[in-house]
Amino acid sequence: MTRLITSSTTNQWKHPSIQRWLYVRDLLQTLVARNMKLRYKRSVMGFAWSLLNPLAQLLVFSFVFTTVLPLNIPNYTVFLFTGLLPWTWFSGGLIEATEAIVGNRELIRRPGFPTAVLPVITILSHLVHFLLALPVLLFFILAAKITLTWTILALPLVIVVQFIFMLSLAYLLSTIHVTFRDTQYLLNILLLLGFYLTPVLYDSTDVPLRFHQIYSLNPMYHLINAYRAILLHGVWPDFVPLSLVAAASFALLLIGYRYFLSASSQFVEEL
Amino acid sequence: MGAEIVVHSVGKSFRLFHPRRPRTLQEAVVHGLRGLSPVDRFWALRDVSFSVAPGKMVGIMGANGAGKSTLLRLIGGVGHPDEGHIQVTGRIGALLDLGAGFHPDLTGRENVYINGVISGLSRREVSRSFDSIFHFAELEDFIDSPLRVYSTGMQMRLAFAIAAHIEPEVLRIDEVLAVGDICFQQKCIQRIERFKYQGCTILLVSHEPALIAEQCEDAIWLHAGKIVSYGKAAAVTERYVRERSLAHNTGGAIANA
Repeated sequence: MTRLITSSTTNQWKHPSIQRWLYVRDLLQTLVARNMKLRYKRSVMGFAWSLLNPLAQLLVFSFVFTTVLPLNIPNYTVFLFTGLLPWTWFSGGLIEATEAIVGNRELIRRPGFPTAVLPVITILSHLVHFLLALPVLLFFILAAKITLTWTILALPLVIVVQFIFMLSLAYLLSTIHVTFRDTQYLLNILLLLGFYLTPVLYDSTDVPLRFHQIYSLNPMYHLINAYRAILLHGVWPDFVPLSLVAAASFALLLIGYRYFLSASSQFVEEL
Repeated sequence: MGAEIVVHSVGKSFRLFHPRRPRTLQEAVVHGLRGLSPVDRFWALRDVSFSVAPGKMVGIMGANGAGKSTLLRLIGGVGHPDEGHIQVTGRIGALLDLGAGFHPDLTGRENVYINGVISGLSRREVSRSFDSIFHFAELEDFIDSPLRVYSTGMQMRLAFAIAAHIEPEVLRIDEVLAVGDICFQQKCIQRIERFKYQGCTILLVSHEPALIAEQCEDAIWLHAGKIVSYGKAAAVTERYVRERSLAHNTGGAIANA
C-alpha cells in the first residue's frame, strides 16, 4: 500500500480497492448503529418518541382537514400518513445532513477517514427511522381496510430514488454549510414552505391544472404520488416521472459529490 | 513491515481572508461576495524535505506554530500540500486525538467498536483484538458499563489501548505524553518502544528535547515552517537547547516563541 500525497488534488477514492469498500461498509454500519443506539438508549420509550412527532402531526392535521376545513378525501388519516412519513424522512434527514461536516470536526481531522461517508450516514440513519415507522403505516392501511396489491414490490424502488435525491442534496448542503453557517436556517424555512407546496396535506389532483407544470418540477411531488399510488390505490406508480426524478437525482448526485470532493481538502482549514 | 516516509520540498499554505469575509448567506447578500476570495497566503510549511527509513524514529521539535502539527497531518493524508509531495508506504496510525467518536452514553464495548472502526480497523479486526484491548487498558470489569461512569484516566487508558492495537506501520505521535499521570506516561513509552522493536516507523512531536534525544535516531527542528536543523538527534537537540536558551537570554533573536 503506497500512498503518494501531491500538491495536485489526488484522490484515493478514484480507485478504491475491495478492501476499502469493505471498510466503508463497516464504517457505515458502525456509525449508523451508533446514531440509532444514542437515539434509543436513554429511554425504553425511545422508538415511541421518534414516532410521536409524525403521529402528533397526523392527529392535528386530520382533525383540521376532516372537521374544520373538510377536504373530502376518503381515508384522510391514512392518506395523510403516506405523505407525512416520506416528508419526515426528507426534512429530518436534510436538516441533520447539513451539519454532517461542521458537526464532525474530530472525524474530519482523522487520517484516512473517508469524509464522504458522513452525509450518507445521516441520510441512512433517517431511512432507518422511516423503515421502523413503516409497519405502523401498514397497520393504519390495513385498519382502513385498504388491500395491498403486488404493486408494493415497487416500494423499495421509490425509497431508493428518494434516497439518491436526498443524498445529492446532502452533499451540496453540507459543503455550503461549511462556508455559510446559516444554511441550516435557510433550509428550515425552505422545508416549511416546501411542506405546504408539496401535496402532503392535500391530493395532487386538487391542484389547479395551470399550476401542474410548476408542481411537477418538485421531485418530492412525484415521490409522494408514487408512495400513494402503491400504498393507497394499489396501482403501479407512474414510472415516467419517477425515472426522470431518478435520472435528475443521479446527475445532481454526481455534481454534488464532485463539489463535495473539491471542497473537502479545505474542510480541515475551515473547521 | 517496511514503511518509509519521503517528504520532498513540501509547502503548505493557509489562505488568509479579509476580516469582512461573509460567514453567512445573509452577510453575503448584504455585503456582496467580494470577501470570499482569499487576500493572502500564509505559509505554514515551506521547502521541507526529509526522509525516514523503515523502522526509524524521528523527533520533530520547534516552538508553537512552527508547523509541526501541520506536517504530521499532511503525512497522515489530512489535507494536501500546496508544493512538493509526500510518499508514505504502509498503514498509518496516530497517537493523537485519542478517543474520537467516544460517547458517554454508550458502553465501553460499543465505544471500542466505534473508535476502532473510525481509526481504520475493520469490525473483524476490532473483534479479534477486543479482549486484548480491555486487558491492556486494565478495564475488564467495565466492558459493558457506559463510558460516563469511567474516570477521565480510565477513558484515556481505553483510548490509548485501542490506538496501541491498530498495529500501524507508520506511527505519528503528537504530544500525547504530555497528558496523563506518570504511570500512564511510562506505559505509553513502553508501548512506543515495542512499536519501535516491531519495526514501526515513528514520527514523534515533542517539546522535550531530552525525550527526543533518548528515543529517536534523527531529529528535525522546525521554525516558522522551515527546517532549521536536521540530522542526528543528539546533535540537533543539543543545538536546539543551546540556541533556545541563548535566544531566551538575548531577547529572542533566533527562535522567538
